[in-house]
Amino acid sequence: MALLEMTGIEKHFGGVTALSGVDFEADAGEVMALVGDNGAGKSTLIKTVAGAHQPDRGRIRLQGREVAMRSPQDAWKLGIATIFQELALADKMNVPDNIFLGQELRRTILGIPFLDHKRMRQRTRELLADLEVQIQDLDLTVEAMSGGQRQGIAIARALNLDADLIIMDEPTAALAVAEVRKVLDFILRLRGQNKGVVLISHNIQDVFAVADRVTVMRQGRIEAVRRVAETTPEEVIGLITGAHGVDLSHRSEPGAAGDPADGPDKTAGQARPS
Amino acid sequence: MALTETVTPVWTQRLLHAKREVVLLAAIVLIGGFFAVSSPYFLTLDNLTTTLRNSVDLAVISAGMTLVIISGAIDVSVGGVLAVSAIFIGRGFQWGLPAPVIVLLGLAVGTALGTVNGAVVAKAKVPPIIATLGTMYVFLAVLFLVIGGEWISGLPDTLSPLVSGNLLGLPVPLYLIAGVYGVCYLLLRHHAFGRHLYAIGSNENSARLAGIAVDRVKIQVYALLGFLAATGALIYVARLRNVEVNIGTTIALEAIAAVILGGANIRGGVGSLLGALLGVLFIKMIQNGLVLIGVSSLWETVVIGGLLIVVLTADALKHGGPQRAQ
Repeated sequence: MALLEMTGIEKHFGGVTALSGVDFEADAGEVMALVGDNGAGKSTLIKTVAGAHQPDRGRIRLQGREVAMRSPQDAWKLGIATIFQELALADKMNVPDNIFLGQELRRTILGIPFLDHKRMRQRTRELLADLEVQIQDLDLTVEAMSGGQRQGIAIARALNLDADLIIMDEPTAALAVAEVRKVLDFILRLRGQNKGVVLISHNIQDVFAVADRVTVMRQGRIEAVRRVAETTPEEVIGLITGAHGVDLSHRSEPGAAGDPADGPDKTAGQARPS
Repeated sequence: MALTETVTPVWTQRLLHAKREVVLLAAIVLIGGFFAVSSPYFLTLDNLTTTLRNSVDLAVISAGMTLVIISGAIDVSVGGVLAVSAIFIGRGFQWGLPAPVIVLLGLAVGTALGTVNGAVVAKAKVPPIIATLGTMYVFLAVLFLVIGGEWISGLPDTLSPLVSGNLLGLPVPLYLIAGVYGVCYLLLRHHAFGRHLYAIGSNENSARLAGIAVDRVKIQVYALLGFLAATGALIYVARLRNVEVNIGTTIALEAIAAVILGGANIRGGVGSLLGALLGVLFIKMIQNGLVLIGVSSLWETVVIGGLLIVVLTADALKHGGPQRAQ
């Protein structure tokens, strides 16, 4: 039983089909990479898992149980933490405020809930120390921080949630080399803790460095799923661009049958290599 | 390595944030000094207490306006909320309701109207300035429909202690202002509600992704401002014992001016209660001082309007230009 199992996911924006018959899964203790060109539907798929989008059709199962997420809060409660590409940090707020945004720790004084600043700061220090993120002053607003520090804060926030499934959207895109290594180490550490990690990346090198499996998306569909040990960067790049001669006939398409969305939309006429 | 690269030290950030309050305080001292020299009456205890009693409604409303502006929104309808609440308070007296019921009725009406504002902004996704401009016209229509060209006048002095009373040797208005600002400060600094206001004003999208119930927080902050506008209505009725047609016409702009002069960013995410209070003091001092030295009160609006333009332009230049080191 996969930790996350999505079947037949459809998502339309007006007349545009963003996702069409998408099946996607990720196991606990596994790093599943999700790759594809710009506009392939990765972000839409991720926002669906994160509760930011609701699919028009299809099922999401978490640990075998079917779930419906109406909001990011729902996803968080179910143990799905997503680190978005735009990092979703509040620029004008400080480090603990960002890490605990929407998850503030409270203490009750005379029946009135107050923020527990002390405990949040202490936990923030622990989380950042775990990640070896160096921030000299927690009271600084995050807009003043480097890309690496901001990534560290965003990851610390997911870590704080103690999520089972952690989704990272381009976590290494804005980082210096040393910082990339650190983030990749962190991903491996999460896997060691039996968490499921979904890594969205344009960087094939990063994918091959940490992922166990790789799912390739192309034009709103799943193009292929490969074990990283059994594939090559060349094959994956070929799958991303569609310029490959690999036989895809073994791939089943459960979402496509009797699918009304497959008619007039732009993906329908797409020539599929076989 | 990049992780340890130097960033603006926190004390510089704090100084930059505090700077506006310091500048405003200096301006108050400077202009106050000018008025003190120009009019022997300005610095008398009598005049200062009168000015304080005249400032309570603006001070109370500016606290709520600070929270709304921190959330990246604005409310130009507070004058209308104040007016409609005042009508219910005035009518309450005419109906012969007991004072506690009248107070609760007024506060309930203001809170309800604030909730309406919040709902229009949050649910109908109308830009706050347009939404509240619209509701303001509706509220003013209610005012005209109910009282026509008449005043509600000759109200009893039941509420007067709110404005003219003394408690333990200090004017009651001081306690009112301290209470309202104290509660708002606690909300802002020590309650999740305040964190969420800053988050929404800083980056609404990220606030949503972090799971904050953005719509609910928006409605709540407008409801709070509505409650405070109704508090302003109670103070207004307590002071003037009537409800006139032009009630509340200038208070929205004065409150917004006070909050912006006090260092809030009109685009949200930044705001200071202390700054807003100093802004109120500044505006009320100019109004009072100009009258005392015999200058037409028209100039007061010119001065405040001009200052607002200067402050907003300075903000735009600061944020629009490239990021610079201090």
